Amino acid sequence: MKNTIIKVLFALLVLQFAHANPVKDSISSFTFQKMQLDAALDFDCDACGCSASGGSMGFSSMLNANFVGLRYFYQSYTSRDGIFANSPWIDENFNTTQVWAKIPISDKVQVTALIPYHFHNRELATGTDQISGLGDVTVMATYTLFKTQKDSTVFTHNLQLGGGVKIPTGKFKAANNLGTVNQSFQLGTGSWDYLLLTEYVIKKKNLGLNTMLNYTFKTENDKNYQFGNQFNYGSTLFYLLDLKSIQVVPQIGLAGEVYGQNKQYGTGVQNTAGDILFGKFGFEIGKDKFSLGVNAMLPVNQNLANGAIEANYRWSVNLNYTL
Amino acid sequence: MKNILNKAVAIIAISAALTSCSSDEVAISGTGNLDLEFDNSYGENDLLLNSQSYTTSNNEALKISTLKYIVSNIVLTKEDGTTYTYPKSQSYFIIDESDSEKRVAGLVDVPAGNYTKVTFGIGVDKTQWELGASGQGDFLATAQAAGMMWSWTAGYKFMAFEGSFTSPTVTTATDFKVHTGQTGTDYNYTEVTLTLPTNAMVRTTITPEIHIVADASKIIDGTNKFKLSESATIMGGSSLALITANLINMFSVAHVHND
Repeated sequence: MKNTIIKVLFALLVLQFAHANPVKDSISSFTFQKMQLDAALDFDCDACGCSASGGSMGFSSMLNANFVGLRYFYQSYTSRDGIFANSPWIDENFNTTQVWAKIPISDKVQVTALIPYHFHNRELATGTDQISGLGDVTVMATYTLFKTQKDSTVFTHNLQLGGGVKIPTGKFKAANNLGTVNQSFQLGTGSWDYLLLTEYVIKKKNLGLNTMLNYTFKTENDKNYQFGNQFNYGSTLFYLLDLKSIQVVPQIGLAGEVYGQNKQYGTGVQNTAGDILFGKFGFEIGKDKFSLGVNAMLPVNQNLANGAIEANYRWSVNLNYTL
Repeated sequence: MKNILNKAVAIIAISAALTSCSSDEVAISGTGNLDLEFDNSYGENDLLLNSQSYTTSNNEALKISTLKYIVSNIVLTKEDGTTYTYPKSQSYFIIDESDSEKRVAGLVDVPAGNYTKVTFGIGVDKTQWELGASGQGDFLATAQAAGMMWSWTAGYKFMAFEGSFTSPTVTTATDFKVHTGQTGTDYNYTEVTLTLPTNAMVRTTITPEIHIVADASKIIDGTNKFKLSESATIMGGSSLALITANLINMFSVAHVHND
């Protein structure tokens, strides 16, 4: 029942967007006014293939609002394989290559698509365990609720709301969740998941602050497994260095993820809830229609799976082409 | 271009809306299987036979070579408080740390249901023993093969805990043996009830695994403490009642898998 309600709400949301009046976007790409961090693009891996990831991984681009691009990101975890104090800790390596695009539908509406390909491995006592394949595809729409007209004030504001759906194109294998290791060693959640997001950017001259919140409702998959709902939040300070021929945007911030408990057959799975706070930093370089971004995230504080999973670090590199 | 995108998004949304909810509850009927996994530890650590040395609160260092015990008379309690008693003739298992095949008591044909507690005995109950050798079925031969019989008249060994130790006074490694079972005064069979942290959902399609941790440190270093340097062989007398009392606190449930 709850699932149906979510689906209907989402459908209404999309219809609303579909009816929004298209206004020609006259601002050329690559202007500071268009620089945006993009909370929407944080949805890359959710709980799959990155237990703790949810992907406050990152802003896509501050240099180009509309683009297609390619991003690679790596996540390093260490998980305890067993229930005892002397159970072995194993390394888990989550690699994702992702095609992403943010395409304007109108002046106020943009559609974002994320198509990930995962290749993960972990070193169990019994040998190396590897999975690879298409992950869950996410499609989102964002709507600009409020935007300061340019040059009118010292501070400019931009507030966006959006929603989306994560499609179970990635394979969920129940067998990967046997035992006590990381329950997120998967290519996908196997479920239709729905997300809501909001993002607020405030800028003064070359300095900006982006704050985002998003929430993912996860549903039960056909193996009767349901990943816990996930709340992501983050704030990033960025600065534009305009060097005529190229633009450089250093950035620094915090990003957090809070996970609800996973369920199997409607019953909670022990040690699956948790939270983590990352510090993140990186930069983006833009030239002509291309931009290159590099980001890294280091945990500041974490409590994942009751201490049985530790996130070590994440990093990403992306190349975007402005549309 | 915009129209195509609009349509694409709308189609995705509609297909999402039409995807039926998975059935919330399959009718609970029929029977299924249930596994009780006994995972032996020493304190917080996984028990490793022979290789690892464990120190007791009496500062004695143990190397454990054998840990076996009989698990019996399994009773499962459902959500509504009713119980299911596993057929007695099939309800005797020998758990042996040295053999990974023998650390699971596999129950079959268990009525489907949501179970909240498990009760089991350590050893063989007196009623069963009093049935005589012919009343034991296959289990007599199984126990003999596993070395879990003293003799028919002396009865079953309920638990065997063996290895070698050193202590501040015994500096060369010396063998120890702790066997429980009946004595002239005490029968020493005991039962343990464990509440499950999450329900074990027995279904025709789900075989839950109840992951039980058995902490071997409790045997001689539990509520009642024994010094092997005073007696390296504990197989009788009043000590066995005290060790039996320790066994009650040896077991806990780590988690339940409903797979």
